[in-house]
Amino acid sequence: MSSISMRVNGEMRTATVAPETTLLRFLREQLNLTGAKVGCDVGDCGACTVIVDGMAVNACLMLADQADGRDVLTIEGLATRDQLHPLQQAFEIHAALQCGFCGPGVIMSAKALLDETPDPTVQEINDALAGNLCRCTGYTKMVAAIQDVARSRGAGTVKLPAPGNIGRA
Amino acid sequence: MKRRGRGIACMWYPIGFTVAANPSAATVKVNEDGTATLLTGTVETGQGALTVLGQIAAEALGISTEDVHVVSGDTDTTPMDTGAIASRTTYVTGNAVRLAAEEACKILFDVAGPMLGVRPDQLEMRDRKIQVKNFPQRSLPLGEVAYHAQAVKGRPAIGSATWNPPTVPMDPETGQGKPFNTYVYATQIAEVDVDDETGEVEVIRIAAAHDCGTAINPMLVEGQIEGGIAMGIGLALQEEILFDSQGRQINPNLTNYIMPTSLDMPAIEVDIVDSYDPTGPFGAKGVGEPTSVPTAAAILNAIHDAVGVRITSLPATAEKVLAAIKAGPGREMKQLTAA
Repeated sequence: MSSISMRVNGEMRTATVAPETTLLRFLREQLNLTGAKVGCDVGDCGACTVIVDGMAVNACLMLADQADGRDVLTIEGLATRDQLHPLQQAFEIHAALQCGFCGPGVIMSAKALLDETPDPTVQEINDALAGNLCRCTGYTKMVAAIQDVARSRGAGTVKLPAPGNIGRA
Repeated sequence: MKRRGRGIACMWYPIGFTVAANPSAATVKVNEDGTATLLTGTVETGQGALTVLGQIAAEALGISTEDVHVVSGDTDTTPMDTGAIASRTTYVTGNAVRLAAEEACKILFDVAGPMLGVRPDQLEMRDRKIQVKNFPQRSLPLGEVAYHAQAVKGRPAIGSATWNPPTVPMDPETGQGKPFNTYVYATQIAEVDVDDETGEVEVIRIAAAHDCGTAINPMLVEGQIEGGIAMGIGLALQEEILFDSQGRQINPNLTNYIMPTSLDMPAIEVDIVDSYDPTGPFGAKGVGEPTSVPTAAAILNAIHDAVGVRITSLPATAEKVLAAIKAGPGREMKQLTAA
């Protein structure tokens, strides 16, 4: 067992974990942060994506111990009590998710992209989402939603697309 | 070098099977504050069925979709539904919802008629009001009528209905039957680049025109079409379940069962064809499964257009396409003569 401590969604958390515990299991089972999903558990699907020190990572491929002393952001850290994160708003407006299982991972990948590249091209968005598998949507509306957030950055909230253009890239 | 090709494919798809009982039921209750509660046995799987059913109830009651509280999928409390299957929910469950809302309307019209001094058949529901047709200034708030119906007349505005696509018996002489109640149609066009040195196929663009009857929620229809195209691309180029000689699947994982990522997606243009089916709720049919039907055929036709080879088994992997290019254009190809 090893003792670890990390900042999770802005809050210092300390715990004792078995050395084989992945960051994903730690977040879900010890911190009860179940937003990051157990999809394939081998790094293929991206449903477990979280942001560690600014980088989108598959939490299933990282040991909790490796996150010791680092800054971890999960989907639970985005919305405040009163307001969704602009990406979450845009995903809702565009109906960018269907079953939603991939959603937390996709949104964290998109956030990591926008933090690094505020005004990405479609190709850059597609590159950023390449590690997140989605079976429902064909990714099209996700890309449109991420573009919307990039365009309306700084406005605080996502501007609604004009009627008739909702859901279109 | 990369060679570009275009291919086209059309399809029809049946909606609302009639070979076996295929009922859906719904209950609509108009509340005393003018909102409504819809009970349905169907479930939401992300396609937006409950939104669409709420929209259908709202349209029938002349209220906003936000005014409809949808209760779904609890078999202890909701009416029976055959299921979120067979692209049937908007069509079959939607019809049940529309009929149930109309039953509730009938009670409200009976109650509102004397209040407004007209016959019930002279009334309509619009803008959260019950109003005299052609005289919108003579109206009552829906909630007030619903309260009156319950508290004064003792007839709460609750409607329940079932819809089952009518079964048509097979003609014993001709064998002619009617296995489905309606059909949808679609055409998709694919534009691809085929690398004739590697056999690799890249889908550049897909244009998809779908008839789904009235699109109750066009944004959700687009979502279904875009998702269906992604599945169609996987079917055409990537996805294959592989078995060993013992019949065991050798790729039961996402490392070796390759499905489309964002990088495999082309530009998609969706065209929802103007259409109205009188047998559907407000003219709607369905859209779910049909969306992935023509995609693979369009892509394989585009490969043929690009490099002149017919791929006859899916998926059209780079290896398969390259082998076909090396073997040369097939002689079995059917030549279409000018009409």
